[in-house]
Amino acid sequence: MSNKQRDWADDDDLDETTTTELPPPQTMQNKDGTKTTVTWRYNDQGQKVKTTRRIRLVTHREVVDPRVAERKTWAKFGLSEKDGAGPQMDTTSVGENIIFRLSTNWRKDTKEEGKDAGATAMKEKLKDKTVKCRICNGEHFTARCPYKDTMAPVGAEGAAGDPAAGMGDEPAAAGGAGAGKKGSYVPPALRGSGAGAGEKMGGKYGERDDLATLRVTNVSEMAEESELRDMFERFGRVTRVFLAKDRETGMAKGFAFISFADRGDAVKACSKMDGYGFKHLILRVEFAKKAA
Amino acid sequence: MRPILLSGHERALTQIKFNPDGDLLFSVSKDQNICVWFSHNGERLGTYKGHQGAIWTVDVDHTSTFIASGSADNTIKLWEVKTGKCLKTWEFPTAVKRVEFNEDSTQLLGVTEKRMGHLGTIVVLNIIPDVNAEQSDEKELTIVCDESKATVAGWSYLNKYIIAGHEDGSVSQYDAKTGEQLDNFPVHELGMQVTDLQWSPDRTYFITASKDKTAKLIAARDLEVLKTYPADTPLNSAAITPKKDYVLLGGGQAAMDVTTTSARQGKFEARFYHKIFEDEIGRVRGHFGPLNTVAADPTGKSYASGGEDGYVRIHHFDKGYFDFLYEVERERQNQNRL
Repeated sequence: MSNKQRDWADDDDLDETTTTELPPPQTMQNKDGTKTTVTWRYNDQGQKVKTTRRIRLVTHREVVDPRVAERKTWAKFGLSEKDGAGPQMDTTSVGENIIFRLSTNWRKDTKEEGKDAGATAMKEKLKDKTVKCRICNGEHFTARCPYKDTMAPVGAEGAAGDPAAGMGDEPAAAGGAGAGKKGSYVPPALRGSGAGAGEKMGGKYGERDDLATLRVTNVSEMAEESELRDMFERFGRVTRVFLAKDRETGMAKGFAFISFADRGDAVKACSKMDGYGFKHLILRVEFAKKAA
Repeated sequence: MRPILLSGHERALTQIKFNPDGDLLFSVSKDQNICVWFSHNGERLGTYKGHQGAIWTVDVDHTSTFIASGSADNTIKLWEVKTGKCLKTWEFPTAVKRVEFNEDSTQLLGVTEKRMGHLGTIVVLNIIPDVNAEQSDEKELTIVCDESKATVAGWSYLNKYIIAGHEDGSVSQYDAKTGEQLDNFPVHELGMQVTDLQWSPDRTYFITASKDKTAKLIAARDLEVLKTYPADTPLNSAAITPKKDYVLLGGGQAAMDVTTTSARQGKFEARFYHKIFEDEIGRVRGHFGPLNTVAADPTGKSYASGGEDGYVRIHHFDKGYFDFLYEVERERQNQNRL
């Protein structure tokens, strides 16, 4: 939009200036092989509209059935009768890019959600439960029990019997994080590998994954995920291949991550594939560093 | 994957259909126009004007010469694809909910609504495959569904059977020559209507979608349920994707129920299931209303969905779609390669 900012007090006869002719369309060649075209037109309100399009021309040859080819030459009819060639702006537009990756984990993900629901249900159930000491059945945590040193626990089931009772004791478990004093705050990151551990972004690929993940750099920009998968599958079962791609051009950015099911395979692949020549470039393979 | 949005309709889509070559896409909606689009770039080729009511259904013949449409104005119309000319109108006492050409496009079936004292019927009309010919008014066959009205119907392989899905969730098999009912199975939950029925490329089996939140793959010969695909929302449409062994389901809370159910968004998605393993393997979001109809391109390269929101979205699949394999499939492939 580039119509001149006009004050409301300006004379109306300035209107005539908006009907002057439009600048001619411009086409520029960009360095990355794309073209930029700038066209001008007036919209319904008589405002000048500048449209900048970045176009990348890719010649894509396709052999179609003669019937299909013939239909492409048909004249338009009905409401489209007056339309020009090509898709029209009022009926056809291109949506946002959708990342559509098929995976077998769909069901698992939904199950995990179900588990969360189970946890909240458990919380709901325990809401009005009171604390009960395992040693004397009194209303305090076992660790605070005055008979702690003199009496043995009532039942032998231990913590499994009553989750609520287990909360205050076993300093060893909480103390593993270096909290020292009981009941002091332990930041989530330092808590043991309890239920909270999986709750970071991209939780699916947890720590187990990091141990057997290789970072491959200096990958050719023509590379495909499937090619990488084929190359690395020789060393063992590959669970995930991620090849970073440029959003606009679809070309590879030059690095990839390969996850193996087994760390041993990853070590083998790392030593064998480092320095391997692939599409005019020499791959560099190393273990992925854990994200900070 | 960048979808192409087609905004040629002003009201909710009711059915979309690819022609057998996969280059044209026909769409009908509750406004009164039929649109035809080029599927590769979303360009509108034309519209077919003439219906006086919501259009419920459309089908194209195997040569892409004719389309037939069924509407709430109680007519079936036959059109010439190339020019948009209406060639014939058949009148019925009630609305037409589904039309389908048989395999060689010599006959057309229509499903009429049960209303105003009329029972639901499936009618069969003869079609002369010539644009200039005068089509006959005669009905070749009328099947009356006195138990539960048919909502969808289609022709099986070799035009041997007519398969119909009913309002009560059952599926029945009729002899296509005599109209005699050969079989009827309560495939879906009782009272949950069958909302869609689409064929495999060879028409030996088909998929049904139902309000009972499942889609089922059923053999045409004996109506045996081969596979079941459970979803978490009522389904409006289901399609079988050629080339890859997937099925595609579309649904979502019906518009009238949205306010009475949980506000959680995200049921308005196209769901992909693996046809054999029955696992859900992916979803595509984008519509902001329930998906009323989905269609798979017969060439396997794309699919389209039409929603209550009035948009048709054509999705051309990426490479990842074609490369996706289960671990067992991949192992088998590696074994074969050695």
